Amino acid sequence: MIKENCKLALLSIKANKMRAFLTMLGIIIGVAAVIAIMTVGNSMTNGVQKQLESYGVQNITIYVNPIDYNQELSEADYQTMKITPETLHKLANQFKGKISAISVEASAGSGTVIKDANKANVDITGVSAGYFKANNIKLKGGNLFNEFAYEQGKNTAIVADKFAEQLFGVNYSLDDVLGKEFEVNINDEYMNITVIGVYEYQQSGSMMRGSNKNISTSVYIPLKTAWNYSHDETIFDATVVAAEGQDPVALSTEIKTYLTDVMANTLGDKFYIDAYSNQTMIQENTKTMNQMTLAISMIAAIALIVGGIGVMNIMTVSITERTKEIGTRKALGAPDGMIMLQFISEAIIICLIGGVIGIVVGLLLGNIAAHFMGYTPEVSIASIYMSVGFSMAIGVFFGYSPAKHAANMNPIDALRYE
Amino acid sequence: MSNDILLSAKNIRKSYYIGTPNELEILHGIDLDIHKGEFVSIVGQSGSGKSTLMNILGILDRQTSGEYILDGIDISKAPNKALSALRNKHIGFVFQTYNLIARTDAIANVEMPMLYAGVPEKQRRKRAIELLKMVGMEERMHHTPDELSGGQKQRVAIARAMANDPDIILADEPTGALDSGTGRLVMDIFHELHEKQGKTIVLITHSNELAAETPRIVTISDGNIIAEKKMA
Repeated sequence: MIKENCKLALLSIKANKMRAFLTMLGIIIGVAAVIAIMTVGNSMTNGVQKQLESYGVQNITIYVNPIDYNQELSEADYQTMKITPETLHKLANQFKGKISAISVEASAGSGTVIKDANKANVDITGVSAGYFKANNIKLKGGNLFNEFAYEQGKNTAIVADKFAEQLFGVNYSLDDVLGKEFEVNINDEYMNITVIGVYEYQQSGSMMRGSNKNISTSVYIPLKTAWNYSHDETIFDATVVAAEGQDPVALSTEIKTYLTDVMANTLGDKFYIDAYSNQTMIQENTKTMNQMTLAISMIAAIALIVGGIGVMNIMTVSITERTKEIGTRKALGAPDGMIMLQFISEAIIICLIGGVIGIVVGLLLGNIAAHFMGYTPEVSIASIYMSVGFSMAIGVFFGYSPAKHAANMNPIDALRYE
Repeated sequence: MSNDILLSAKNIRKSYYIGTPNELEILHGIDLDIHKGEFVSIVGQSGSGKSTLMNILGILDRQTSGEYILDGIDISKAPNKALSALRNKHIGFVFQTYNLIARTDAIANVEMPMLYAGVPEKQRRKRAIELLKMVGMEERMHHTPDELSGGQKQRVAIARAMANDPDIILADEPTGALDSGTGRLVMDIFHELHEKQGKTIVLITHSNELAAETPRIVTISDGNIIAEKKMA
């Protein structure tokens, strides 16, 4: 019976192709909008998630915050906000086995390195030994800093492969930079660095735009070297890497409790220490982005409702036009339920065909948009199922009333209809 | 004869605008028995009430009062929901304007009453082909109504009326829209159905000439049966 109804519905759609297409257009636009938005939303969520994960899923950031952001802070207060190297030592000892690295960084400024006609923009960053693990930085050649370099504050540096490319062209070799000395101009002050290692430069997703030449890469120097250079040994925050198998969210709570206790005297009543797991941030970010995608998709779904009203309108017209046919079918013994099923099937098929076309158009638009926004397109399979289901539901919902009207027609009135 | 009564209408009245001052009674107490295997014509002028009577006999409409028994079933007591099934099983309609379903080929049109009766697809198809052969339409069974002439459409409509082997065929002015030659062809099919298959046929017409072809003529005027004539 369903097969026959589908056949009849397709015949009717075929007989009024243009009208059926225009009716479908509302559904096509609605479904395409929902699918495109969900594809872009998914692509963005996954892109940002991957980017955040690249910062380390096991990482926990610790920092001191004022309790009341509106309060005015004195210079003395800022001194209180610091985390001391001693505190970090204590933390490392207390959580031995649970922590695999502690990373601290300090900026020594931004500058340029010039080699013949080439120029490289750099950010000079002083780092602790744990920095490379916490930030998943991979060496392409050379070595990391040794203990001695950290303790003595040597002017050794680890640069990006991009840095070498900027100075020596795409055909650079690691030997062009390894063991070589470069002069960095930081606001007309000069710092000499000797390159001991080259790391793999990672472009940070869509966030990094602009020409290749102007990209600023990080030059890492030992933390103490940076401190010596800037005469400032302030640590406002640090990153702790939870050891393999440790739950970073649970560990962040333990660290917070421990540091609150250890730093009770310095924090006083104006500050508190927070330990925030990247995992929590990723989860919260994903949740927020998903909510945003859903909210925008719901706005797009309004187009689907409007499309549904179009279906209802056309079904009403179609039923009026076919009143005599309905009368004949009733005379031939069609039960009310079958008349109703016939017209609901027609509405569902219109919506389903519209839905499928909408999915294809939506996927196409979503993929193109995600691509141009710099994200890897991620199709939301759930949105496809949802759209198909929603299209069918619209067919049933908006087809029901006209179909019911058809089913309830008095056969004699329907047969007499001109 | 009383044992094989197929259809019995007793004191059938039909009014419109019931209960209002403008109440209009179309049928004023019709009494009519039709036996199995009869070929009856109900003849009358336009507005005589013959179509209203056909609608009641065809269970397309209900009488305002009176009793209507079809094949032992008291139709006046049947619930509305059961009427479709009763029409489907007991009655085959042939309309003046053919009333074939557009966009659907001849064979699918003939299959339609069987579809509503729940006959399996293969069986439906086989029976539809047989019936179309019977009315000489086997060559054009895959043509849609707009590809058929008036006479061809009416032959398909007769095949459709026969689909569920109904107890009675109600033909409302079946030659009304046809030229005399084609009309003759259609009437010959009815005669064949009556004579060879013993089908009960009720022919509603305003033409005395056509009515004269049937063994029994019931004349209706102003909502009353005014004459009955049976051929020997």
